[in-house]
Amino acid sequence: MERAWIAGEPVALDAAVAEAAKLVAASNQPLITGLGTDIAGARAAISLAQRIGAVIDHMHAESLLGDLDIARSSGLMLTTPAEADAHADTLLLAGPLSQSGPFQQLVSGSARMARRIFWLCPENDGATAAAGRHSVRLVGRESRDLPVLLAALRARIAGRSIGKTAIAARTLEQVSRDLKASRFGVAIWSVAHVEALTIEMLCGLVDDLNATTRFSTLPLFPADNALGALQVCGWMTGLPMRTGFGRGYPHHDPWLFDSRRLIGCGETDCVIWISAYRAEAPPWREAAPTIALTAAEAGFQVPPRVHIAVGTPAVDHGAVHYAPSTGTLVAVAASQPSELISVADAISRIASVLPYDGARRC
Amino acid sequence: MLTRLAGGRVIDPANGRDDVGDVWMRDGRIIDTPSEARPDATYDTTGKIVMAGAIDIHSHIAGWNVNTARLLLPEYHRAAMPRPAATPLSYAGWSTFETGCCYAAMGFTTVVEPAVSPHYALHAHLELADTPIIDKATLAVLGNDDYLLSLLHANESESAIEDYVAWILEMSRSIGIKVVNAGGAAAFKENVRAFSLDDVVPHYGVSSRQIVKALQRAVNTLGVPHPLHVHCNNLGLAGNVETALDTIAAAEGLPLHLAHLQFYGYGSEGERGFSSAAARLAEAVNAAAEVTIDVGQVMFGPTVTISADVLRQFNARHRARPKKWLILDGDANGAGIVPYDYRRSDFYNAVQWAVGLELFLLIDKPERVFFTTDHPNGAPFTSYPEIFALLMSRDLRARWIADLPNAAMAMTTLPSITREYTLTEIAAMTRAAPARLFGLTDRGHLGAGAVADVAVYADGADRAKMFRSAALVFKGGELVVRDGEITHRTWGRALTVALRRDRAIDRRMKEYYEERYGVPEELFKVPAHALGRPEPFEFVPCRT
Repeated sequence: MERAWIAGEPVALDAAVAEAAKLVAASNQPLITGLGTDIAGARAAISLAQRIGAVIDHMHAESLLGDLDIARSSGLMLTTPAEADAHADTLLLAGPLSQSGPFQQLVSGSARMARRIFWLCPENDGATAAAGRHSVRLVGRESRDLPVLLAALRARIAGRSIGKTAIAARTLEQVSRDLKASRFGVAIWSVAHVEALTIEMLCGLVDDLNATTRFSTLPLFPADNALGALQVCGWMTGLPMRTGFGRGYPHHDPWLFDSRRLIGCGETDCVIWISAYRAEAPPWREAAPTIALTAAEAGFQVPPRVHIAVGTPAVDHGAVHYAPSTGTLVAVAASQPSELISVADAISRIASVLPYDGARRC
Repeated sequence: MLTRLAGGRVIDPANGRDDVGDVWMRDGRIIDTPSEARPDATYDTTGKIVMAGAIDIHSHIAGWNVNTARLLLPEYHRAAMPRPAATPLSYAGWSTFETGCCYAAMGFTTVVEPAVSPHYALHAHLELADTPIIDKATLAVLGNDDYLLSLLHANESESAIEDYVAWILEMSRSIGIKVVNAGGAAAFKENVRAFSLDDVVPHYGVSSRQIVKALQRAVNTLGVPHPLHVHCNNLGLAGNVETALDTIAAAEGLPLHLAHLQFYGYGSEGERGFSSAAARLAEAVNAAAEVTIDVGQVMFGPTVTISADVLRQFNARHRARPKKWLILDGDANGAGIVPYDYRRSDFYNAVQWAVGLELFLLIDKPERVFFTTDHPNGAPFTSYPEIFALLMSRDLRARWIADLPNAAMAMTTLPSITREYTLTEIAAMTRAAPARLFGLTDRGHLGAGAVADVAVYADGADRAKMFRSAALVFKGGELVVRDGEITHRTWGRALTVALRRDRAIDRRMKEYYEERYGVPEELFKVPAHALGRPEPFEFVPCRT
């Protein structure tokens, strides 16, 4: 089975590793992105970034940082899947939601209790809303109406008057009254589908509800261990992803270190693309010389300069990663152990043949 | 490898030693002066102070709560943007790597992370595995968890509670148990907004006192060396000294440790209804031999409060400085992250500063009052050197007091206190006593057989300077710091208690986790192989 390629041609793993090291060594501004990997892979990637002065980014950084911005600029109530299931008599769903993971459990027939569900602007997803023992009320439809709807609800909950909106005043009145009457409510949204300012309005609404009752939130995050990678960035650098090491210390700038911008402006001359959970190729066509660490079958628009096939965490090898079902980092054994190397192994092999070991100087 | 530290003033209160002489180390351990003395390396410590490595018993350095605070506050990180010197918390050691290095530079070699929710234990241990040089340990937080509250509700036997506590200690790889506002977080989920020692958790029908007593008893019966570590109810509120006094009285002869007591040293006297009650509190501690405390000293400057006391943090969220916060209704305790800025000009903050120092100075025995700032809640741990200096000099305190609001100082006894800590008392408080409090018989002293964790300081009148950067630090016999700079980076271990426990509970826990969480309980465990370091744990025996 082929496991390494240079410019699309199968090679021995050592040759691919040597070529990757050569590209990294020759680079003035390397970029490590994708970062769809387990905790060990993220640790290795950040260590390498520190050593070579690279930028570290993640394929889901946009939505992660959008959500994080709420906490970084105002306030946020959070809860866990288990607590939501144990306590929530009310769910406030905002925008389209993929019905997976903890959300599905909360609205399923096997949920711990019957809940009152309000779904604001579900787009087409509302049609599939779970019902059964839960009561579901759809309010509004299109995503673009969500900010105004939330603002109007927030105003009514705070007892302020509002002007005319697309939603009937009587409906707003009823929903705000019902939300205030909940015992423990949980607001849920998909961070990939709701804009930061809208999330901020929703979080403000939740905070206001806590003046008299209990309300919290359970944002749904993208896959690819995005939250796990965020945590590792946090403890290793003190900062989230979109952090560069070129200055010799970690420097966080969500605009400057956005992969797409770096690629688009030609500011990077070597990309390490990591996607171990899915055979995902980079979303851009033209790019700097690329070292891809992904599952073997990734369909690249342009063959990467170096491609090393890596195993899927928790399938081919044991892994630690974020589990949406628990909301924590968990250690999982390999379900189908194989010979495929892990991202951490691949990076440590590349790092071990780099011709220098100090931080790069500009 | 035989190493000799030659001619320093050796201060080792655990062994009654304060003299000028040598310390010898071989293969990571302290040894008696060998008869045939041909060292492989000799370090001249003439004119220097030689102590065991310091031990911090309560410092929030790792885990989901701490990491969330990092992500919440990019502006507190030195690297967030180029800034003039003295950026808030830039000196705090904000990544795990800086944390280990900053501690080592001050001569600290063991640090306890005191608030790990068992379900976040793996996360905390991953961070600790990335914290260099120092050894570390964690306390597992219980007391708002459904399983324990249900046991108490059902009037289950003491042994059922012991089995559960032992199971938690093992699954989370902790060294002891902490309880944080017992029952308060569970009550908050039922919309309760204030919770005291004799208040009852709705639904479960158990009081905070019952929870504390049950855990205290279980920890003691299991022989866990560290007594139950208690974060009392009503943290930070005027008049809360009564809660602390009630909790001290509730010790009832069994060991009990009260954390960051400064935050409970408040009376409600004066025009603003906020005063120091430290003198009353110190008197009660002096009279209760079974009680130990740590201080949680406040120092002025921007910081962030990180606490599993979700109720307290929720109530404080709108007083955040800067205005942002995060409150987690967690599987058990949850957490609250609320940035705060302690200001010299603020009456309340000045009283808090004084209360901490009063406790240090009015509690008679340095081995019963432990040195903490509740990092980063009262102040970042990097402010320790300034606090040592304040404890050792009444003149320095007088200069600080002169700069603080008179109205605040009038509400405390601090200006009248003349006591000055000696170096021996500092060593007892930060070395000998913490080792004893955690059952670490081979730490905190320089007798033969001890782990060769040694801190050497250049003796000088400027105590802050002296303690800020150690002249030499040895970790397990290896030189890791010279003149405050890291010379060699090692990876310490996590100290965890070794229990012989009854396996009969395992099946019950498996069923409980399937029912309550819908996942195998295995998911929450901390396997050594997941931490990415060889032999990440060191086991500490229980009392027999």
